[in-house]
Amino acid sequence: MRRRWLSIPTLAVLGAVTLLGAAPARRSVAGAIVGSVDVHLPPPPAATRPDVGTLGMPAPHGTPDRRRSVVYLDPAPRAAFDTRDEPHARMDQRNESFVPHVLAIVAGTTVDFPNDDRTYHNVFSLSKTKSFDLGRYAAGRSRSVRFDRPGIVRVFCDIHSHMSAFILVFAHRYFCVTDEAGRYRLDNVPPGTYNLMVWNEAFPTASRRVTVPETGGDVQVEFTLK
Amino acid sequence: MRVRLTFLCVAWFLAAMPARAQSLPDKPIQLAGGQVTVSGEVVGAIAPRDDRSFFDYTDYEHNALRLFRVSFTGSWHPSDRFAVLAEIRSEDLEVPIAYALYVRVRPWKDRAFDVQAGRIPPVFGAFGRRAYAYDNPLIGYPLAYQYLTSLRPDALPATADDLLAVRAHGWRAVFPVGNPASAPGVPVMSVYRWDTGVEGHLQSSAFDIAASVTTGTLSDPRIDDDNGGRQVAARVAWHPIVGLIVGASAARGDWVSDAVKGQLPQALQNRSYPQTALGMDAEYSRGYFVVRGELIASRWTLPALDAPVLAGPVRATGAYLEGQYRLTPRFFAAARVDHLGFSRITGTRFGGAPTPWDAPVSRVEAGGGVYLQRNVIGRVVVQRNWREAGAGSPETFVSGQLSYWF
Repeated sequence: MRRRWLSIPTLAVLGAVTLLGAAPARRSVAGAIVGSVDVHLPPPPAATRPDVGTLGMPAPHGTPDRRRSVVYLDPAPRAAFDTRDEPHARMDQRNESFVPHVLAIVAGTTVDFPNDDRTYHNVFSLSKTKSFDLGRYAAGRSRSVRFDRPGIVRVFCDIHSHMSAFILVFAHRYFCVTDEAGRYRLDNVPPGTYNLMVWNEAFPTASRRVTVPETGGDVQVEFTLK
Repeated sequence: MRVRLTFLCVAWFLAAMPARAQSLPDKPIQLAGGQVTVSGEVVGAIAPRDDRSFFDYTDYEHNALRLFRVSFTGSWHPSDRFAVLAEIRSEDLEVPIAYALYVRVRPWKDRAFDVQAGRIPPVFGAFGRRAYAYDNPLIGYPLAYQYLTSLRPDALPATADDLLAVRAHGWRAVFPVGNPASAPGVPVMSVYRWDTGVEGHLQSSAFDIAASVTTGTLSDPRIDDDNGGRQVAARVAWHPIVGLIVGASAARGDWVSDAVKGQLPQALQNRSYPQTALGMDAEYSRGYFVVRGELIASRWTLPALDAPVLAGPVRATGAYLEGQYRLTPRFFAAARVDHLGFSRITGTRFGGAPTPWDAPVSRVEAGGGVYLQRNVIGRVVVQRNWREAGAGSPETFVSGQLSYWF
């Protein structure tokens, strides 16, 4: 116990000596990785299980955008893990679909699942990363889940089998979901060499080796998934 | 032959799977640019011992607690207002049958009114339209939808004694008028096959209204017409709040076949012998539980032939209450309390005392299930049956079921 108290100032001094003894480092500038993910996937029509037991046409529902991808660094810069806030995110149940269909969050995020439809929904997941069941709740109500572990969470509705979504939970902040045109941008990436990964539900994960120079700037990386 | 046909269906399904799929699909397969959608279900239920008292047989050969079923459901919807739907199923590796095959048309684009024609889902009641394993919290069926009464559309009792003689023998009823061979009777409402005809369905924010005209009856749905009669059925469902559905149903149709009528005295041949039924159903769900209940009262008109005569129609009333509770994301518990009762008739049997024309049955089924995956569900149930007469009462069965759907 006594030795531990003594060791802390010792280490601090050693660190200070090291810093003073080093040559003046050239100041590095964070860069950005930008580009697009071209997903060759025909936009699928709404894939509802045919139900011969219904007495009429099923109500039309939203179609998930399966061309959305998630771009992220693996491994991420060390600074990316220094986060202390507890962010919130939102995944709506709207028109019998989850909006957004793909959500990327940092571990520790609480996701709200508001029901915007006039029917019940029952959001649940059996994923190892996070298993939960929010039960049935009506329009205007919302329930929340906090995601603490990194990983992929598949989200479903127990009442509407065609409803599904993905939540990707990261241990760092260097990720983003592509926009409707497939574009992405990862800002404030420290200089270094990384694996740039692309996840899409319909394809195996793709990766590229990317180097952000000491001088910063944009690094362009294009992906094609087919 | 049966096995070969079933495996051909399975082979077709596997061939239709996307080439990149490395595991069984968990979503329907889409073909022809999305116009054709195919889903499927494989269900296997096992029970350590057979039901020799025929509590759970859906006919003479199929036990609901020991059943292997493969079914494929397909829809072709070339436009938003027209679709063709079909379900092909095989039970215990027998020849696949078209359980459902009909067209669905929405005549007006802006009105939620649909017409369906062909082998159509029943409008009466609630349980008959539920998916077999996906939407059944337990393994067995409610008694009113499954239990074989001793009535047969192709053979009739001549006297009250003829009917009393086969109490609790619905699985092999024999009557003197009509087909002399022993054969299974009919349930109050059959869900093993669907009827053939036309139905209309109107939907609003608070109501669902459906009506149909079909060839058979609730207890004897048919493809071919055996008596020239038609069944008219209707249901009104009210959704006062989200999660609550209250429904009322009615149906009436000739149920005795012409082959039997031809053996009746001339004066009785041209009369109508309808099955008439009324039903009430309700469902309430909230949070982690779902509760459903249903009441069906049916009566069958029979010809009065010889003494001791059957005075008036015979009646049956079935009622059940079931509930399901989600314990955790993976585990759920469920239970159903069920009863099927029969009106009393008087013959010379049983000392001439008024006696239910079939033996009343009660059932309690309880169990639990686990979502192994989202679309792979295991269930185990314990079922206890009581019957006023006949073999094996009380009788307890244990059954396990594994179901997979995509």
